[in-house]
Amino acid sequence: MTQLFGAPADLQKRLDRAFNPRTVVVVGDKRAMGYLWLNCMKTFDGKVYSVQVDPNEISGIEAMGVLNYKSLRKVPDDVDYVVCAVPRPIAPRIIADCVEKKVGAVALFTSGFAETETEDGIALQEQITQMAREAGLLLIGPNCMGIYNRRLGVRHSTDQPAGDPGNVGFISQSGTHCINFSLVGALRGVKCSKTVSFGNAVVLDAPDYIEYLANDPETEVIAMYVEGTKDGRLFFDVLRRTARRKPVVVWKGGVTAAGSRAVYSHTASLATAPAIWDAVMRQAGVVQTESLDETIDAVNALTYCKPGTGARMGLIAMTGGQSVVITDAFERAGLEVPLLTSASYEKLSSFFNIIGGSYRNPLDAGGTIGMGFAPGNLQKLLEILEEDGNVDAIAMEVGASFIARRLRENPALLDQLVETLASHKNRSAKPFVAIAHPGHVEDVMADIRARLIARGIAVFGSFQAGAQALRRTIDYWRARRDLN
Amino acid sequence: MSVAEVIENARSEGRTLLTEVESKQVLHEAGIAVALAFLAHDANEAAKAADKAGFPAVLKVVSPDVAHKSDVGGVRLGLDSKDDVERAFDDIVAAVKAAQPDARIEGVAVQKMAPAGTEVIVGMSKDSQFGSVMMFGLGGVFVEVLKDVAFRIVPLEPKDAREMVREIKGFAVLEGVRGQKPADLAALENLILQVSEFIEAHPEVEELDLNPVLAYPDGAIAVDARIVVS
Repeated sequence: MTQLFGAPADLQKRLDRAFNPRTVVVVGDKRAMGYLWLNCMKTFDGKVYSVQVDPNEISGIEAMGVLNYKSLRKVPDDVDYVVCAVPRPIAPRIIADCVEKKVGAVALFTSGFAETETEDGIALQEQITQMAREAGLLLIGPNCMGIYNRRLGVRHSTDQPAGDPGNVGFISQSGTHCINFSLVGALRGVKCSKTVSFGNAVVLDAPDYIEYLANDPETEVIAMYVEGTKDGRLFFDVLRRTARRKPVVVWKGGVTAAGSRAVYSHTASLATAPAIWDAVMRQAGVVQTESLDETIDAVNALTYCKPGTGARMGLIAMTGGQSVVITDAFERAGLEVPLLTSASYEKLSSFFNIIGGSYRNPLDAGGTIGMGFAPGNLQKLLEILEEDGNVDAIAMEVGASFIARRLRENPALLDQLVETLASHKNRSAKPFVAIAHPGHVEDVMADIRARLIARGIAVFGSFQAGAQALRRTIDYWRARRDLN
Repeated sequence: MSVAEVIENARSEGRTLLTEVESKQVLHEAGIAVALAFLAHDANEAAKAADKAGFPAVLKVVSPDVAHKSDVGGVRLGLDSKDDVERAFDDIVAAVKAAQPDARIEGVAVQKMAPAGTEVIVGMSKDSQFGSVMMFGLGGVFVEVLKDVAFRIVPLEPKDAREMVREIKGFAVLEGVRGQKPADLAALENLILQVSEFIEAHPEVEELDLNPVLAYPDGAIAVDARIVVS
């Protein structure tokens, strides 16, 4: 696709205009949709115009305080980004207007094209594709949700946060996964820089967006949901190039045979054998995931953990039972739980409470650190693991749920705990992950997780999730280290 | 003959499958370690070829119609003298004619028998999305039953070959089990990278099978080879 738009640097510049617009036009917003698009743009502090010809709709649009024009051509300013929600027979006319108006890019929310597998849909898709290609128009979609820029408040869901910058880029064929990543991710500490849902990808395709985010200084980690690719070789080349510069997480849908059947009707891309896909992703040096949860966890570990390639864990749990299962979880994820150095054991023996606890590794430390609320001893444990030459990374169970009620009654305890962990993380050179299991008082546990991630500590809802996310980051940094 | 000439010759005969002799010849030209084979049309030529290749010799029927050579009596192993080779030639021709009377027999391939080693497979096929995909695995049941193979797309970097060899579940076999010495992993990686380069240089190669490659504590060599061109 890229060559349609001249040199790669030109496409980069043009995409940058679309992703950072100053003027946005929504074409065809409707009351029946709750004026979704204009409501999405309420957080945008640039200029927003509407294009709508239906008098019944225009009154509602003007009531929102938005200036409406009967045609895109009549909009007075240069237009950087257009969202188009017209019925599909009107789409070619709007594409022609976009070309005439020299807009930065247009996202076609309009659907009913090749994904319907009907003659009409396929023909119409061919028509708009040809129009856009001939004119060099940046067409996003069709059948997509387009761009989200958190900092500028350009959104495709009214629930998306806006106004502050983010550092994670996300691209997706599916609109649902694109929106969910930004929403569920936001709840769990992922701040999106820019995302794009690109649907049928008839003009711009995944490699173009990946390349754009690779060059975007605001974006530090790139994640994506893909179901297949039209040009596997190009996709691979771009992924490999990009993964050498920043972490890339690829969530693949349609891996199973039945799943890949669904892919075909969904976005009409070719499926490839799972074993080959897996090998290609490894070769590209990207992190692979299989669900939204895994993707968010991997992104968080890559964003918040110090980069590390060592697999030897120092583990801290609150009780004997948890010490056993935290160890199983990290070993099963392919990480190691070694004995500590004799120097560490010497230090530990001087203060560790061995009544109801033990410190070989894992450290069954609930008694010693007052379930996390004796910050002095907790800090000592963390320092010992930090200095231990047998330990590459540290994982800790935070706030056993059965003491959560105490935290609700005495929030100052939690403040202290968060402070101790945050100051450890800032001093430490080793990856650190916290695990706070959902419990019978999930609101308190959710609060603990939110407060930890707000202080830049990667936190997970289960030992397995934490172990796998950490494993993925270690694999990523190893692949980067092993490049020749 | 150069690679291009060998392929041209096969095409002129309406073939896309290169014979074992041809396949090995082009791989040898590319610097890849193969047990070279020579085509003999009669018993006398076979004996001369064995003298050139070295003893003990192996003879295999060359026929575009025979898929599994040993099933039709088309293979003789461990031949220590010219006499043995001459006799084996006649035996093979007779056996194949008996088993598959309509098979065209172009001759017999003569090569030196390689000493026993750990059997591995290096292959390439085309994927509609990613183009040339290389495969590596241990020979026999590991590939056929357990599907214990690693894939990478061409061109490979040294890192890819390194990972490929270590990624298979049966890697411990290459590290040496039951008192066996470890296989020469560097030689295997090198062979994989050479094949990758060969494929990159010859996009007309549609399929390639080195099966088996024998891995030794010092080196590795492909003892059978099969190439399909477009």
